[in-house]
Amino acid sequence: MGVDTIIQTIANALVLGSVYAMVAVGLAIAFGVMQMANFSHGELFMAGSYVVFVLYTLLGMPFLLAVILAFPIVAMIGLAFERLIFRPTRGNVLAGFMASAGAGFILQVLVGQQWGVGLMRTIQTPFPGGAEVLGASISYQRLLIFPATVIMVTGLWYFLTRVKAGKALRACAQDPEAAVLQGISLNKMTGLAMLLSGGFAGVGGALMAPIIPVTPYMGHTYAVTAFVIVIVGGMASIEGAVIAAFILGFIHTIVATLYDSVTATMVGVLFMAIVLILKPTGLMGRVKV
Amino acid sequence: MSFFSVENLTKKFGGLVANNNISMDVEKGEIRGVIGPNGAGKTTFFNLVSGFYRPTSGKVTFKGQTISGMATNKIARLGAVRTFQRPALFSDFTVLENVSIAQHLNTNASLLNAIIGHDNHREADSLERAIEIVDFLGMAEDRDTMANNLSHGLQRQLGVAMALATEPELLMLDEPVAGMNSGEKAVMVNMIQKIRDKWGVTVLLVEHDMRTVMNLCEKITVLDFGEKLAEGSPDDIRSNRAVIEAYLGADDSVT
Repeated sequence: MGVDTIIQTIANALVLGSVYAMVAVGLAIAFGVMQMANFSHGELFMAGSYVVFVLYTLLGMPFLLAVILAFPIVAMIGLAFERLIFRPTRGNVLAGFMASAGAGFILQVLVGQQWGVGLMRTIQTPFPGGAEVLGASISYQRLLIFPATVIMVTGLWYFLTRVKAGKALRACAQDPEAAVLQGISLNKMTGLAMLLSGGFAGVGGALMAPIIPVTPYMGHTYAVTAFVIVIVGGMASIEGAVIAAFILGFIHTIVATLYDSVTATMVGVLFMAIVLILKPTGLMGRVKV
Repeated sequence: MSFFSVENLTKKFGGLVANNNISMDVEKGEIRGVIGPNGAGKTTFFNLVSGFYRPTSGKVTFKGQTISGMATNKIARLGAVRTFQRPALFSDFTVLENVSIAQHLNTNASLLNAIIGHDNHREADSLERAIEIVDFLGMAEDRDTMANNLSHGLQRQLGVAMALATEPELLMLDEPVAGMNSGEKAVMVNMIQKIRDKWGVTVLLVEHDMRTVMNLCEKITVLDFGEKLAEGSPDDIRSNRAVIEAYLGADDSVT
C-alpha cells in the first residue's frame, strides 16, 4: 500500500467519522435527556438530505443556504416528534420505540409519495473538483464536512458547558428528578434536546446529500451505525459519541478499503461487542447498557 | 390560614391505609420534625406533602394555594422545595455548578429565550448567589470539586445547598442525617439552624434519628400506624406516654 492510499484512507475516515459524529451526537443528546432511543433518527438524517434536494436542486437556492436551513427545518420535525411521540410515551420505553419507529416509516412514506420511491435523487455538487494531497484526492464536497462538523460540535460543546440552558440540559441527562427539583422544566428540556438532535441529523444529511444516493430509505444504515456509536461511546455521553464516531469511521474505512463494506459493518459491530465486554458502560459512559 | 397546612390527609394504596386523616399546621420560620417508628407512614407523608403522591383525600396548602398533586417544578417555583434521602445531584458538575443550575422562581423563560436570549446579568446574579450559599454552608474549599468526589456527608450538604439555590420559603428535608456519622450529623444540624436563622426559611423534616430531631426542632409531630399520635415540643414528646409506648411497646404487653 502506497503513501497515497494511506493518506486517502485517513482522509476518507475523517470525513466518514465527521458524518457519524453529527448523526450520533444528536442521538446521544436525545437519549440522554429523554432516556428513550429515537428509532426515527435515521429519517431525520434523510429529511436533511431532502431539504437540500428541494431547496437547492428544485428551487435553486445556494447550497450552503440550504444546508444552514436544514438545521431549523429538521429541528422542527424533531420537536414535533417530541411533542407527539416522546412526551406522551415518557417512561414507557416499548411504546416510545414503537411510536418512533412508526414515525420513521411515516416520514419515509410521505417523502416517497411526494418525490418518488425508486428513483435515486442525485444532487449535483456545488463544489466540483478536489484537493490533491500527496497523490490522494479528496473532493471539495467531502472536504467541507470535516470543518463543518468541528464548528458544530464545538458550538454544541460551548452551549452545553457555558450556557445555562445547555447546563440544564446536561443536568436533566444526569438526574431528571433532581433537575425538576431545581425548577427546571423537563418538558422544555426534552423539547430542546429533540430540537438539537433533529438539527444535527438534518445538517449531517444535508451535507451528505451530494455524495450519497438520496432515497426515502437512506437513513437506515446511518441510524444503525449511530446506535452502535452511541453504545460504544457510552449512552448519553456526547464526548463518547464523538470519539466513538471517529473510531468507527476509521474502522469502517480501513476495513472497506482492504475488504468490502459488508465486512466493515461486521467488524464495527464486533468492535462494539468487545468494548461492551471490557467496559459495559461504553467508553465514556457511567450507565450500563 | 397557616403558612403550610395539611388538612385531613389520607392516602390509600389499594386496601392499605398508609396515612389516615392527618392534619397539621406549620408556621412561618418554624423548624418542624415529623417522626415515627418504622412503618408509621413517614415516607408516604413526606411524598404527599411534597407533591410526589396525589392524596386519596384531603389537601396540602402552601401560602393559601393547594399544592397536592401539582407538578414538582411548579411547587419549587412557588417556593417549596424538597430534598431526597439519596444524593440527588449532578455528579459531573462541580459543587458550584450544581448550586448555580437552579432556575430562579421569577425566571420563567420560554424555550426560545433559554436558547438565544441568555441573560448574562441574571446568570451573574445566580453565580453570585451560588457562591454565597456554598460559602455560607461552609463548603467554600469544595467549590470546584466534582460532586461525585465528595463524601456522603458533603453530598447531602450539597443537596441542601441546591435546594436553597431555588430561594425557597419552605425547605422539606427527607431524613437529612440518614447514614451520617455523629460529626456529619452535628454539621447538618448546625447548617439547618443557620439556614432558618439567616434566611428565615421554614423547615419541615422527616427523620428517624431521635436525638437529631429533639435537638433541632421546636415542634414535633409523631406518626404511628399512619395516624397522628402526638404533637408538641421536644419535652412534651419525650414525656408523652403514647409516644413512649409506640416506640418501646406498652408496659403491660411485656408480661
